[in-house]
Amino acid sequence: MTRKQTRLRWRALALLLVSALVLAACGDDGSEGGDGDLTSSDDPITVLIGSSGDAETNAVKEAVAAWSAESGVQAEVLVATDLGQELAQGFASGEPADLFYMSPDQLVGFAANGSVKAYGKYLDNKDDFYEALVNNFTVDGEFYCAPKDFSTLALIINDAMWEEAGLTADDYPTTWEELTDVARKVTTDDHVGLAFGAEWQRIGVFMAEAGGALVENGNAVANSDANVQALQYVKDALNEGIFAYAADIDAGWGGDAFGKQVAAMVIEGNWITGFMRNDHPDISYTVVELPAGPAGKGTLQYTNCWGMAADSPNQQAALDLVEYLTSAEQMLKFAEAFGPMPAVKSAADQWKQANPSMVAFLDGAEYAQWQPVVAGIGDVIGDFNAQLGQLKTADPKAILDQVQSNLEAILSE
Amino acid sequence: MSDRTGSKACRAGSSGIRRGEAVAGWVFTAPVVIILGVFLLIPVVMALWVSFSDWGGRGSPLSGRVNFVGFDNYTDLLFESGLGARDFGTAIKNNFWYVVLVVPLQTALSLFLAVLVNNAVLKGRGFFRTAFYFPSVTSSVAITVLWLFLFTGSGVINQILAWFGVHGPNWFNDPTGVGHALLANLGIEQGPEFLTSHGFLNVSWWDWLSGPSMAMTALILMAVFTTSGTMMLLFLAGLQNVGHDVHEAAMIDGATAWQRFWKVTLPLLRPTLFTVITLGLIGCWQVFDQIYTGTAGDPAKTTLTPAYLSYSRAFRQQEWGQGAAMAFILFFIIVIFTAFQRWLLRERTPKQPKEKRKPAAEGAR
Amino acid sequence: MTTAAATSRRRDLIGARLWRQVALYALLVFLAVIYIYPFLVQVATSFKTESEAASNAISLIPKTFTTEAYRRLFLVSDFPLWFRNSVIVTLFVTAGRVFFDSLAGYALARLHYRGRNVVFALLIAVMSVPGVVLLIPRFLVIRQLQIYNSFAGLIIPLLVDAAGVFIMKNYFESIPVSVEEQARIDGAGAFRTFWSIVLPMARPALITIIILSFQGSWNELSHFIVASQDPELITLTKGVAQLASGQLGQGTQYPLKLAAALIMTIPVAILFFIFQRQIMSVTEGAVKE
Repeated sequence: MTRKQTRLRWRALALLLVSALVLAACGDDGSEGGDGDLTSSDDPITVLIGSSGDAETNAVKEAVAAWSAESGVQAEVLVATDLGQELAQGFASGEPADLFYMSPDQLVGFAANGSVKAYGKYLDNKDDFYEALVNNFTVDGEFYCAPKDFSTLALIINDAMWEEAGLTADDYPTTWEELTDVARKVTTDDHVGLAFGAEWQRIGVFMAEAGGALVENGNAVANSDANVQALQYVKDALNEGIFAYAADIDAGWGGDAFGKQVAAMVIEGNWITGFMRNDHPDISYTVVELPAGPAGKGTLQYTNCWGMAADSPNQQAALDLVEYLTSAEQMLKFAEAFGPMPAVKSAADQWKQANPSMVAFLDGAEYAQWQPVVAGIGDVIGDFNAQLGQLKTADPKAILDQVQSNLEAILSE
Repeated sequence: MSDRTGSKACRAGSSGIRRGEAVAGWVFTAPVVIILGVFLLIPVVMALWVSFSDWGGRGSPLSGRVNFVGFDNYTDLLFESGLGARDFGTAIKNNFWYVVLVVPLQTALSLFLAVLVNNAVLKGRGFFRTAFYFPSVTSSVAITVLWLFLFTGSGVINQILAWFGVHGPNWFNDPTGVGHALLANLGIEQGPEFLTSHGFLNVSWWDWLSGPSMAMTALILMAVFTTSGTMMLLFLAGLQNVGHDVHEAAMIDGATAWQRFWKVTLPLLRPTLFTVITLGLIGCWQVFDQIYTGTAGDPAKTTLTPAYLSYSRAFRQQEWGQGAAMAFILFFIIVIFTAFQRWLLRERTPKQPKEKRKPAAEGAR
Repeated sequence: MTTAAATSRRRDLIGARLWRQVALYALLVFLAVIYIYPFLVQVATSFKTESEAASNAISLIPKTFTTEAYRRLFLVSDFPLWFRNSVIVTLFVTAGRVFFDSLAGYALARLHYRGRNVVFALLIAVMSVPGVVLLIPRFLVIRQLQIYNSFAGLIIPLLVDAAGVFIMKNYFESIPVSVEEQARIDGAGAFRTFWSIVLPMARPALITIIILSFQGSWNELSHFIVASQDPELITLTKGVAQLASGQLGQGTQYPLKLAAALIMTIPVAILFFIFQRQIMSVTEGAVKE
């Protein structure tokens, strides 16, 4: 490089630094979202949701439109393709959605950097929510956001395929042995016995049924014998070809496999009912509780809340909308439209009466496990899921050992 | 590359200076300078700061609440053993295999296509050139969508493979490494102790040997498919510069086509080769669009690339510092690889007289 | 082909040459099929039903011909909006690049002023930064300038490109200075000389810039991901990429996705066929630089 060029480079660098400083000087600092009162303005409300399909999208849009008409505040529902990314980018841009779906583990991260508003204490109906749900959305003693509903996993059975294999209602499996047995019977060249996503969010039910978990009393217990036994059971059935991952039979998720009729049974949650009604109304199916494992019954349950952005300019109206959306009446409407169970106690009886065929989901809630609520758990489970994809050939113990060390790392932080 | 263009600019300046030229010069270049400065150079400086900070994604990264954390973000990625570091190592490993396979394949294929199409008496030359080039003009998003469809479990590719009695894998859902599969064929299922217990960047040597997964292999084929057209055009331009007289001379000497290609054509194409490989290296280390559109790093993180990981660390997990640090490490890797390639392809045949190389195109871009 | 060449002795030259020709064409046709067939499958599949796309992927003729995918794209989804946004962004970016790149290229080629070297250094520095490094930083600057979630944020950062300036500069340098001299003597200012004398002469280079900018901005993805989030501002690449990555509750929907990808390819394909000859020499020009 010639001397002249060196000088050129320096000049360019100097130019660069000067302009960076100028930009820094005019940079804004963002508003301080303190613990004081909620913000209030005329700004319209934006609601960002991660939808299970048209049924859910339409139901939420309808409800929000109804509230908008009633309150006179403009509101818009947006459907995220990738909720996590869109939320994080929204917070960083300073223009987040006002209200959004948020899972307990997302809450941990967003609460830590002050992205979300803790508004639980302002809710008029805060005492009506199930305590277990409220606990999921409480960080450092503060109740952050209103649970919007909850779901459990159950076994969904295709009636036609069941009959075809000569099975009756008496054959609904109640143990692992029975599950492999019926799965073997209903498996044909066109469809597998049981399909589910290659993820802890589904396979975790077997771990629960074997008496395992990921975290117990704040300690990582991922590589317990119970978990090894559960994965071994799944591995054997996958290799026998009577269980299959949804992706391996060219389906996007369990519900997709069920709708395409490439699986006779799937493990899915309440949301599948709305999807089936909307996309595959002609398939008749039955929902039963998942079979018990060596340690008894077990399943997983999920909940989301209505998160509120700390940077929202109109939190007062957003709170009003949350109260509207979490009223018993509205929650029953959602339940009817796309299947989840209401998060408030006052709606329980009515839901049971209205949905006799879905009682299995609610029964599961009695013994279901929650996903651990720890910062960074999403990454650990993501890594676990990546390994579960190779379960057919991998050593279950080795997989779980790695999950264990990952969990220990985030729990010690 | 910069040296040549830079000195050229300094030399220019024979025509006289006229009134108002200084003003006009600045006014004419102002839009370019401002936009490039604001949206390219300043961002890089800001990101450099973020990579040394603990900014969590809220408020301004330049505000007083953001702390300087030194090289923490870098050391966390390179020398720690947590999940984040392991993901980064995996991403580097994946992309390494991608580069190692795509660059030679696309270079060889495009050179081959160029030589075929360069035939002066070829009928339908334009048609073939168009056919080979067309995939290059389409967007990576559109091609990825098409590829996902072609490579499904019961898709087109597997049906074609079935004609030959080959049972194709479920490409985009198959994390099996090609390297491990080959070793398994030789009866090596489990890596030896000294390979599994040591490693580089938190990935054991045995895992480095896994090679690209089936999913990554599909993406590698896609890259070769879409870039070979552009590269072919570059080679065609190079070949036209080589000219016919050189070949005729060689033909009189009695050289076969094969000898002529290796002894005459290829050495003269060195500058084009240099361009093609440099472009390939720079492009291949930045795989993003395909991953964002197609696989999001799945299956089993075997299509995770540093570019995508950097994005998702920042925009998804709100680990902006680490995301920015990854981008700079990637920048560094690209520089190293390009420099290495430059050294590898340096002139080292003093036998060849200088004048002979003159007609060939200069390799700079 | 090569084995034929190796074994051919001069005595049987004609026979060998014929054989070689046949082999060459066979090889070329085979390769061309590999390159074209995927696109034909794409067209065919976009007119298939979803179940047929899965069960009969390879066929080029749909058993049941349906335009359902297109109906859904245009009547039910936001696809028309994405298309509109892509058109807006591409037009602005292309116009901007043609104008600003040639302006700067002219200044660097012809005008003499203090600081020209600094501009040059800036351009070179910029060209050596790989695009992927800019993902996070661009977002930071765009939000700092408060043009996040706006067309300004989508367009302005793409409005000039260093490579284009170099192409224009090189072309202007190849035009003899004498052409402008007369205009200058007649008292025309720098801009008039540039605009009415030199620019019209640079048509080939301008077409090059148009092609590169159009293709570049139409196919751009990562910048659009980081520059906005508003569904009203989604461009084709981003929309189709998100469609492809899918959401829970939707099936694989291959006819729909392939139709979307196909329509997205059409404008670039048209451009490609119009300027085919030019494109073939674009890259040649790039090498000669």
